[in-house]
Amino acid sequence: MTSTTALPDDIKSPGSVADPRRTSWPVLVVFLVPALAIYVGLTAYPAFRTIYDSFFTIEGLDATFVGLDNYRALMSDETFWVAVRNTFVWSFIAPILDVSTGLLLALALYAGVPFARFLRVAWFTPVLLSYVVVAILWMWIYNYDWGILNELLRVVGLGALAQSWLGDPNLALGALIVTHAWKWAGFNMVVCLAAIHSLPREVLEAADLDNCGWGAKLRHVIVPMLRPTLLNLYILAFIGKMKIFDLVWIMTGGGPLWATETVSTYVYKRAFNWNTFDLGYPSAIATVWFGVVCAAVIILNRVLASKDRLEY
Amino acid sequence: MRWGRFGCAVAAAALSIGCMGPALAQPAQVNMWSNWPDEPAKKDWVSARVKEFEAANPQCSVKLSFIPKADIYTQAKSAVRTGQAPDIFYLEPDQPEFLAGGFLEPLDSYIDLSGLEDWAKPAWTSKGKVYGLPVEAYTVELYYNKDLVKKVGVDVPANFQLTQAQFADLVKKGVAAGITPISQGVGDRPFPGGLLLYEALLRKLGPDDYGKLLDGTLSYKDPRVIEVMDWVKGLVDAGAYPKSFSTLKLGESHFYFYNTPGALTFPDPSWFTGRAFAPPESGGMPANFPLGIMQFPAMDGGKCPECKTLAVAGSFVMYSKSKNKDCAGALLKSMATRDNGTKWMEQVSLQTGLASDPSKIKSAHADYFAELNARNKGVKYFFGTPLFHYRAKCAETYTQVMNNAFPAGLISVQDAADKMNAACFKG
Repeated sequence: MTSTTALPDDIKSPGSVADPRRTSWPVLVVFLVPALAIYVGLTAYPAFRTIYDSFFTIEGLDATFVGLDNYRALMSDETFWVAVRNTFVWSFIAPILDVSTGLLLALALYAGVPFARFLRVAWFTPVLLSYVVVAILWMWIYNYDWGILNELLRVVGLGALAQSWLGDPNLALGALIVTHAWKWAGFNMVVCLAAIHSLPREVLEAADLDNCGWGAKLRHVIVPMLRPTLLNLYILAFIGKMKIFDLVWIMTGGGPLWATETVSTYVYKRAFNWNTFDLGYPSAIATVWFGVVCAAVIILNRVLASKDRLEY
Repeated sequence: MRWGRFGCAVAAAALSIGCMGPALAQPAQVNMWSNWPDEPAKKDWVSARVKEFEAANPQCSVKLSFIPKADIYTQAKSAVRTGQAPDIFYLEPDQPEFLAGGFLEPLDSYIDLSGLEDWAKPAWTSKGKVYGLPVEAYTVELYYNKDLVKKVGVDVPANFQLTQAQFADLVKKGVAAGITPISQGVGDRPFPGGLLLYEALLRKLGPDDYGKLLDGTLSYKDPRVIEVMDWVKGLVDAGAYPKSFSTLKLGESHFYFYNTPGALTFPDPSWFTGRAFAPPESGGMPANFPLGIMQFPAMDGGKCPECKTLAVAGSFVMYSKSKNKDCAGALLKSMATRDNGTKWMEQVSLQTGLASDPSKIKSAHADYFAELNARNKGVKYFFGTPLFHYRAKCAETYTQVMNNAFPAGLISVQDAADKMNAACFKG
């Protein structure tokens, strides 16, 4: 006797081509091959080729296997370590500035600041600008002679504080971090604003009923509930800053005295500005840094991720 | 029958296409990348040579692109490896990796070498072959504003060379008068900040020891080097350079010198003219600007006060894997003539590594040329700026330390010498 609840034979096996949830291999191939080809050609192959090249010295068209020599040289390369330090400072500290600025702007809009619609557009606009435009704009702002920053200081009688913001090794990195934060504050604002609007209204109303003030509500209700969003924004910002290149290259070229050198600018210099065609050494830097970025993201996720899942 | 007619028609069509073949043959296209998109005189000179060549050689056409130098280098470095580099491209002798990598074609069999100045050939000679057409050559000059220098109370002597103390005095008087003594900026260039220091070192050490300093066999701790660095540090601390020195770009430093706010002096290679002689409305020098050229100061106890740096800059090279070597070679040959060298000097008001005939130069800037020639009479040339000699980490350290940090007052003499020795000294 056959059970009436038994599945027909043709859908018993999930791998069967007759499974209506599965398509046939030719169709799968047609859909997968273009994406896979692009991924392999433009991501996987260059990544593996970079790792492969890092074991060679490549002069002109000749490649000489050097084993781990490039990695050994890297360990004693002072400029590399300066670049690592600068990149870490930028990557760990600047995202705090980015995310907190974005959150403050979002809260301002959420609280109904006057001209909110205009401000939302105005604050988001820098996100749409290319790094080149942002860099040129801020080079004007930071200009010693006629930049608006120094002019403002002079106007308010603080001319003694006027600085060569990009020319002083003690200030240049900070100046770049501020520029970068200005560009991305709008993005963080939009994400935070969307997250705030999706917070459960009953929780916020309950806080209001308990006479919870704005500060306490922010600290004890909004920020904890936004934690996953803020964490994701932090990690996104972190990854972006670990790879930062354009802004630095245009504004300071890594100077003065390597004060703004990042790993990416150093890789570029070694690859294209070093009077050599050798891609082995820059490949070794890129390989090491790829590992560092991956490890840092995993560690950050582990350390910062909340073990208590928020449910609402 | 129908098939027969169809066959005939196909055959006729094929024949007619075959007959049209030669008529439709395209001229071989030479791809050429030139620098100087923002320097009208040089751009015009290159464009005119290409047009003349195309008119005389209908079998060749030229696709000429003007691209900023840094972009040419970056793109060419990728393109030469993949066989996609242009047939002819702009290069300067301070990029030796192209030659070392085997990416340049020797030009000996393509051009008439008598069309090049003898002193310019070594810049592009390797193993007895010449690899580049040295179009642009220059000397390092010290331009000054005659009126402002007079205004601060300094008389330039008859030999147009101040002593080291007189130059320091000029700087101090400029600062006291609220006039920037030296217009210079390193915002977009790796070399201008070192011009004053290295010209001073050349005059102090003489060409032999200066050559040793640049090839890493003389230490930056040599007392003579330290003495010159101390002197320059004194000028820096006195306020010789603009406050915006680190971010001021080369084009802006021109404007700073001959326009707003104005400066007493402007150390610059003699390619100064490329920007300065552009129309004033395009940022060029005002027509009545009181331009003068003086020698860099003579150092106390200097071995060679009459020394000066001479170098080859903008040149054209042929890609060794070019598929149009005949046309590319013919184009370079057509450029490498005495007549074209004369035209370059006439139009650009700048020296050239091509042979030239100064007696035939008719230029609107004849006075300038006369003064430049006068300042170069009897001088002893040293070939190549520091970046022509320095490579890799040493070049990068020069850029960061001697070009930027030291003249910006960010680093002491000892620290600067230590960093340069660590990167460059082979002793």
